[in-house]
Amino acid sequence: MEDIKIAILRMEGTNNEEEVYSAFKNLGVSPEFVHIKELESKKKSLENFQGIFIPGGFSAGDYVRAGVIFAQRLIKSSWNEIRRFTEEKKPLIGTCNGFQILSEMGLLPDINGKAEKSMVLSVNKSGKFECRTTYIKFSNKNPILSNGINTGSILQAPVAHKEGQVMFKDPNILDEIIQNNQIVFQYTDAQGKFGEYPWNPNGSINGIAGLSNREGNVIGMMPHPERAFDIFNMSGREREGKISTGKLFFASIIEYIKSHAI
Amino acid sequence: MVKMKNTILITDLNNESLLELSHSMGLSLNIEEMIRLRNYFRYLGREPTDVELQAMGQAWSEHCCYKSSKLYLKRYFENLKTENTILQMEDDAGVMGLDQDYAYVLKMETHNHPSAVEPYGGAATGVGGILRDILCMGAQPVAVLDSLYFGTDFEDKPEDRLTTRFVIENVVGGIRDYGNRVGIPTVSGSVNFHEGFTGSPLVNAGCLGIARRDEICRSRVGGIDEILILAGGRTGRDGIHGVNFASRVQESGDKDRNRAVQLGNPIIKEPLIHAVLEANSKKLISGMKDLGGGGLSSSAGEMCLAGNCGGEIHLDRIITKEKGMKPWEIWISESQERMLLSVKKENLKEIQDIFNSWDVETSVIGNSVSGKNMKLIYEDEIVMDLPLQFLTSGPIYARPFKTRKEGVKIYPFPVEKEDYLERIKEVISSPNVCARFNIVRQYDHTVRGNTIVKPFTGTPNSETHSDGNVIKVIDEGRKGLVLTAGCNVNATVVDAYNGTINTLSEAVRNIICSGGKPDSVVDSLSFGNPENPAVLGQFVDSLKAISDFCKEMHLPVVAGNVSFYNNYRGTDIPPSPNIMMVGIIDDVKDCITTEFKTPGNLIVLIGSSNYDLSGSVYMKSIGYPSHGFEKTNVQELRLIKENVQKCISNKLIVSAHDVSSGGLISTILEMCFGYELGASIDLSYISNSRTYNKLFAEGGNRIVAEVSPDNIQKLTKMLGDIRVEIMGKVLDSRTIDVSDSGRLLFNEDILSFKTLWEKGLDNII
Repeated sequence: MEDIKIAILRMEGTNNEEEVYSAFKNLGVSPEFVHIKELESKKKSLENFQGIFIPGGFSAGDYVRAGVIFAQRLIKSSWNEIRRFTEEKKPLIGTCNGFQILSEMGLLPDINGKAEKSMVLSVNKSGKFECRTTYIKFSNKNPILSNGINTGSILQAPVAHKEGQVMFKDPNILDEIIQNNQIVFQYTDAQGKFGEYPWNPNGSINGIAGLSNREGNVIGMMPHPERAFDIFNMSGREREGKISTGKLFFASIIEYIKSHAI
Repeated sequence: MVKMKNTILITDLNNESLLELSHSMGLSLNIEEMIRLRNYFRYLGREPTDVELQAMGQAWSEHCCYKSSKLYLKRYFENLKTENTILQMEDDAGVMGLDQDYAYVLKMETHNHPSAVEPYGGAATGVGGILRDILCMGAQPVAVLDSLYFGTDFEDKPEDRLTTRFVIENVVGGIRDYGNRVGIPTVSGSVNFHEGFTGSPLVNAGCLGIARRDEICRSRVGGIDEILILAGGRTGRDGIHGVNFASRVQESGDKDRNRAVQLGNPIIKEPLIHAVLEANSKKLISGMKDLGGGGLSSSAGEMCLAGNCGGEIHLDRIITKEKGMKPWEIWISESQERMLLSVKKENLKEIQDIFNSWDVETSVIGNSVSGKNMKLIYEDEIVMDLPLQFLTSGPIYARPFKTRKEGVKIYPFPVEKEDYLERIKEVISSPNVCARFNIVRQYDHTVRGNTIVKPFTGTPNSETHSDGNVIKVIDEGRKGLVLTAGCNVNATVVDAYNGTINTLSEAVRNIICSGGKPDSVVDSLSFGNPENPAVLGQFVDSLKAISDFCKEMHLPVVAGNVSFYNNYRGTDIPPSPNIMMVGIIDDVKDCITTEFKTPGNLIVLIGSSNYDLSGSVYMKSIGYPSHGFEKTNVQELRLIKENVQKCISNKLIVSAHDVSSGGLISTILEMCFGYELGASIDLSYISNSRTYNKLFAEGGNRIVAEVSPDNIQKLTKMLGDIRVEIMGKVLDSRTIDVSDSGRLLFNEDILSFKTLWEKGLDNII
């Protein structure tokens, strides 16, 4: 197998990078941390990678709005590189703060391909930071994730955020993304039924937990598969199960890269 | 004679003027201490500078020199170490061996006084400070824990202080916003409510870190001519006189009240952690120390003294947050997110490059020199030149103290009313027993992806409480550490000695019940005014209890702190020896959790108790006074520690939960809640005491365990001489029935308890 290189982006306040790193490492590929400063100074280029992962955290403290500063710095330093990257169908994935950053950059849901900002991840309906275990339904045939996850599967995944409520700029966008199959994950209860709070921890419209672009290679989601990589990271009866959510998730990304010879 | 700037005339002052000076400069030194200072400068033949006086005020504060507690800490805690102890009570945190390559670093500390006046900032910087204590040992922080103590006047709106409700909301907010932002999981701790904390809340913040054994960094300069670097945040006027403020009885209108609290910034801390650990793993740092209480004054002095050197520091080279800061303000500022590094000249460039790459500011502020003095220079003038020995030679007091007599007093007790259901519901929904969801769900406890046993366990969104919390700590193995922290204040308030032992017994059982082996102890000791003999007596009793217990259990006490003067309107807080305990688990797949797993399994009670109700939540709930607390049989606990642990690693026990606040019935109910499985319980054989005592007593060394009927004989055999009684079995329904001596006490849906338990804090936070 040729060496698969994954860039894990970070700046001050990024704080989920270690678990993302060990998830990729554990599956035999080569993750590498890339600091925003290294992109700004052109010390590193995203072109050399087959995948980009933007981990969670509180980039720059999230004091303005979650993800906005990281997004602006990425746009300024690497916009063309990122656009090329996504056009080549390479995977660009963000969890939690990473999702917030991708939506601030206009890369999600990006229904018309113009990268216009059309959604926000607003403060949770409870008004509180919510650290809990959720269930998410893999609700489409995303080209990356369906390499390892069956459509319709219910996965257990932890969330931990205060700003995760998906809201769109205008109501038509929701119809569009449904039509385009851009909803990747939706919050459900353990049996797979759509549920209100606390099953939907932030009050997202249509229980949206994760979205993709039209092509399906840019994915953003609030839950943290990287924190459920070990079977003992799982909660409840799922601890006695065979395979963790994190393994399914990260293995799918690697399988996609391999099978598409990216 | 050396000419110095800004000198203050003290050598000719009389006692009255000395005291006035101490007050007007905010030194918080008493008359004896001021006289000692005056005599010393008479001996030097010169007057002190303002910087020198302020530095002495810092160094001789209770907070920095432990003048009221040192004598007793030495008497009871010296040499409480084991063969695995690497550093005990030496540097900023304790260090214990984990395996041949790794060590773990632990510390817990109070941040009470700042949290009382500015709860959000006080609690946040409590977390920030403890992270730096771990970091400066060269360790990666892996878990944060906190123990909080609040008053009970939820509805009051006092005029002279913040309301309790506001304090709770903001302390939790401070811990949440700091811990979550810096990305270290807040996994463990405790929340306690008692009327004695009204006006004097306590915030204990703890942290656990992991370091390679060969990368442990000491808090001292590595010899003369090393360069001193200040890294991280800038120095400001926030947190001036924090230590002095924390070392006296609070009065309203205290001018230091607001500026004594530091401001935290987790987004400076997060890259600071990366930069420090990177430089340390490249062996570029000879020694480092965080800047906490007392600021540079305390850190630079201690680092030079510990390295047998003097120091020379240019105060004008320190980057400040604002213009016009006076030299003494720079020297004693307690601004957050700062670390002092001592490095060899040849490593300076490489260190600066690393910190620059993380956007962390550094400034070279001076160097270590031969000799014994700390010399400070500001704009080419010497502003302080004092021997470090004198600075750190604070007074040691042996104040009078009065300890309590042991034993539970006999007193008339009300007739049993048989209102069991009502009483259980009241206890289970009371603030000290009920679910902690409203608080703990606000803390990120899964970040870093290594949390194995979370604060809650069972069906997601419908969980119950865990005992110890388990963190996987080494990437290449499956070794984990088990964490717990807290203090049973209802018990310590009536009996400091036995209450402290009970607190320690509970910590040991929390770790055992998760499958771990108890390994080390840290104490953060909060007490009232030590000038009150009864308070100092409680303190001495608690220390004696910790010492007696840890000797018997073969546990080292590796770090700790003391916070006195927790007093509001003349009322001292209950004795609050908060205990953090860490255990080791060789393979995290062997850890167990509290919820009942399988219908048909047997429910057994391991360990014994006298079933005294004194000091229990039940006694408080019926409004009956408590006198004394049941004595714990520590020899029995030692046997339990060894044998129960063996039963768990042999898979004989599938779930376990200790009996503590709320008594046996609360333990059983919490075990039912996790998967909403019922239980059938018969209390007849566990004791011949009355039903209420069996339901609600909190003493002893008891653990409730779930065992498959196939394994019960093996279990009894393996437990040896430890008392074990079968109490009932796990049901396939949601009902719980409890009987005693042939009488059915009740038969009830467990949800009728669970809903109350879940909502217990809804009116508070």
